[in-house]
Amino acid sequence: MRISHKIGLAGAAFGLALAAPSARAADPIKIGVIAETSAISGVGIPNAAKMAAEEINAKGGVNGRMIEIVDYDDHSSAADAVRAFQRAAQQDKVAAVIASYISEVVLALEPWAGRLKMPMITPGAASNEITKRVHDDYDHMKYVFHGYLASTQLADVVCDAGKSLMVNDLKMKTAVIMSEDAAWTRPLDDEYLKCLPASGLKVLDHIRLSPDTTDFTPIFNKIEGEKPDVIVTGISHVGVQPTVQWQQQQVPMPMYGIASQATNATFWKDTNGAADGVIFNMVAAPDVAVTPNTIPFAKAYKAKYGSLPGYAAYQSYDDVFMWAEAIRKAGGTEPDKMVEAMEKTDYVGTIGRVVFLPKEDTFAHGMKIGEGYITGLMVQWQKGNPVTVWPANVATGKMVFPAFTKLSQ
Amino acid sequence: MLALQILIDGFAISSLYALGATGFTLIFGVSGVLNLSHGAIMVVAAVIAWWVAGTFGTGAYIGALAGVAAALACAFFTYRVIVRPIQDSGAIPKEEKEIFVLTGTLLWGIMLQEAVAYLFTDNPKTVRPLVEGVVMILGVRTPWNEILTAALSWGAIGLLYLLVNRTRTGKSLLAASMNPRGLTLLGFEMSNIYVLVWAIYGILAGIAGVLLGAFLGVSSGNAGTLTASAFSIVVLGGLGSVSGSLMAAYVVGYLETMTAYLVSPSIRTVPVLLLLVLVVYLRPQGLLGRR
Amino acid sequence: MLRSRTFQIAVPALIVMALLPLGVDGYILGLLTLAYYYAVFAMSWDLLFGFAGEVNFGPSFLIGIGAYTAALLNHYWLWPIPACLVAGAFAAVIAGAALAVPALRLTGPYFGLVTLVAVLLLQNMIVLFAGITGGEIGLDLPDVLSIDDNTNYYYALVFMTVSGAILFGLAQSPVGLILQASGQNATEAAALGFNVAKHKLAAFCISAFFSGLAGAMLIFYMGTASVGTVVDIAVGVNVIIAAVLGGRRTIIGAAVGAIFLIGAGELLRPLGQLATFVVSAVALVVILFFPGGFMGRILQSGGRE
Repeated sequence: MRISHKIGLAGAAFGLALAAPSARAADPIKIGVIAETSAISGVGIPNAAKMAAEEINAKGGVNGRMIEIVDYDDHSSAADAVRAFQRAAQQDKVAAVIASYISEVVLALEPWAGRLKMPMITPGAASNEITKRVHDDYDHMKYVFHGYLASTQLADVVCDAGKSLMVNDLKMKTAVIMSEDAAWTRPLDDEYLKCLPASGLKVLDHIRLSPDTTDFTPIFNKIEGEKPDVIVTGISHVGVQPTVQWQQQQVPMPMYGIASQATNATFWKDTNGAADGVIFNMVAAPDVAVTPNTIPFAKAYKAKYGSLPGYAAYQSYDDVFMWAEAIRKAGGTEPDKMVEAMEKTDYVGTIGRVVFLPKEDTFAHGMKIGEGYITGLMVQWQKGNPVTVWPANVATGKMVFPAFTKLSQ
Repeated sequence: MLALQILIDGFAISSLYALGATGFTLIFGVSGVLNLSHGAIMVVAAVIAWWVAGTFGTGAYIGALAGVAAALACAFFTYRVIVRPIQDSGAIPKEEKEIFVLTGTLLWGIMLQEAVAYLFTDNPKTVRPLVEGVVMILGVRTPWNEILTAALSWGAIGLLYLLVNRTRTGKSLLAASMNPRGLTLLGFEMSNIYVLVWAIYGILAGIAGVLLGAFLGVSSGNAGTLTASAFSIVVLGGLGSVSGSLMAAYVVGYLETMTAYLVSPSIRTVPVLLLLVLVVYLRPQGLLGRR
Repeated sequence: MLRSRTFQIAVPALIVMALLPLGVDGYILGLLTLAYYYAVFAMSWDLLFGFAGEVNFGPSFLIGIGAYTAALLNHYWLWPIPACLVAGAFAAVIAGAALAVPALRLTGPYFGLVTLVAVLLLQNMIVLFAGITGGEIGLDLPDVLSIDDNTNYYYALVFMTVSGAILFGLAQSPVGLILQASGQNATEAAALGFNVAKHKLAAFCISAFFSGLAGAMLIFYMGTASVGTVVDIAVGVNVIIAAVLGGRRTIIGAAVGAIFLIGAGELLRPLGQLATFVVSAVALVVILFFPGGFMGRILQSGGRE
């Protein structure tokens, strides 16, 4: 039944395509995707965007025009990303850009979005600075939207969940913050220092490590010497290495918090299973119906690309739909009108209900957080599978820790 | 307690540095080549070991062997396809061979690195350790893998020492590093010696890569850093001096570990760089180098 | 002979380049703009290597000092762009001299290592003092040269032409010949009564001046200064490859190599991640089979002596 329906749609699309040459309106609408395609968190961004475009096109496109994804590899470099952005805007004439999970890259692109009046959204970068610039200089920066949580908001989710998981369930009292020295962790750490004590976890120490650290032994030994109940993480550039060394050295306290690499399906294999017990934040997980769209997307992604989507893939998928909707409402790809339409977004995607904050808010063009909007999840690696452990109403399992973890009683 | 911890952790990482730098300095000593694809070859060894063990379920030992074999193949390729043709080329003036070898091996290193990133992504990979578990040494919890890393590094270096000092082939190798012309006069074929030294290099770099992959984890992006660190250690110890490199590896390893423990992990490498500048200015031949 | 041959090639090429904006779209111009700045990096490096015989592994130390000096002045004190450029260039010269005076006593791999370490230290310092320098994230600049592609293109083209002419002139002058002599055999050159160290230091400072200036121009074109753009080892590696690929000791060969490297990287973009692999492979083949590089071959077939 469903299959025939799809064929029908495809047939309709085919018919449209045949009729197309006569109608100028049928030129495709291009959306540029600039991402780190050889980094594991980045590869999902173009993949998911292409899926979204196919689905939109199968239903007839936007105002009769197909969506075409043009993807660029920025090699995790701001310079390459700026070049790709210029190419997207000036040569390939895209209508909007979906860019990167690295804050440094997004921040380098942001002034160019203003200069070239090119609507842009990031599906995975977290720096507070992204929305702060929009707030401070709205007239120039209004083309930029933040499709992921800002660092402060991420910290709040970790603290909220920590109150329930660590303080109430495990009776923990103390924590050490371990985060990498990068743009996105500065506001994250500031907020951790405020909200962890408010949740009932006393912060014993705050360790910032260089993102090119390879030997974490001294760091773990130092932390262990301070005898916290839990290590609260803020890591993205590093991930596999600290996890493996944590397991090999049998560091007796759990790792809990933000760990972007852990959100990827290949993390288990990359760490040879050392990830067992690691708890990390995600806005959507493959096993939880955050919205009715979440699980079908994760399944379709796995069917198409062979592994579950990483964290930025969910947002990237939603972002294409949101741009398409904005273009539909704006009646075309005129940038100022698209921005106006995008500001009115109220869209239920795979990660929750997306509404962008107004320009007066300090997180201008960031997503609205909270009950009924975007809430965030805490997920734990358990025997090769990511299992959602918070919030309780959508949890699919209970926390389980490896044998070397010593939980304080 | 802290002192003991620094002692143990510094020892393991230093041994690994020593192993990585030994092959690098050996090649320089015997054939005057600075191989800038060194880091990339170590990365290939680690990633192949991870891939074979993980994908074919062959277990850690076969995986490690495959990794070393891959490094050996890369080393041979480096020599036969890049270094040797440049050295034999009549079109390159003698005083410029050095920069051509440097550029050539650098490009080859970038190719290896990009190939690894393309085939296996640039996410870090960790080789499953040969032994799991931890042991208490005077109250310091130490992973067996860390002990094994140090032991295997020294085992490999020890075997190399025996080979160089106790066998005829090895002695010719030693002689080659001192006086290549004299050796040719004695009837030794230099190209055979070069092949031998590159084979030894390949195996050492392979073991170092696999151990590094098991101990810390390796990503394709580490290739440049690994080359730079081998280069620094070798210069610090004195170019071409194996014992100098071993000593320098411990200086670097302990300096880094102490900085990480006592000052801050975020400036781990800075004191080493400063020391390096100082040594190069004050004693350019390195700690144990001859001029 | 070499001089006339070089002009025969350079002048028509420059005329074509100057006319390009009439027929080519903005994106290609943007790409060439970047390539022209890289061309200046590579030409400065060639002066030092091809003529003075010193392998500088850290061109991005000089580039980075110039770029970050200019960026800081513009970001915090809102200096006008020309003042920032001048300050950047002179900062690079001062830093270059500070590095070169002791380093030039060293030779071969030691000199190379010191220049390499200089880059690593600069990179560490920028990340350590992230509060001021912006760290990994970089500094965004309030001013840019222009947002118009044609204007940016002509800035870069004129800058490359003038720098190239000065560097080429220098290399062909008596000073250049002394440098070349001391690069190939320092003892002999010294025996002939030339002050080798002084000439090499001068070469280093000139190289630093143009590297720093080009670095500063580049960031005002990009609108951001970041480690990845102007300091990272990879930047220096590209510069070295460009110079060797184009043909060392020719100055303009370095420019050709840089334009090729950036252009090829972009042409191969459809290959995605494999682009860098292919570009490196091509460069390796050129080095192995045509060690004179692109220009070395062309100029030599014109009968250089």
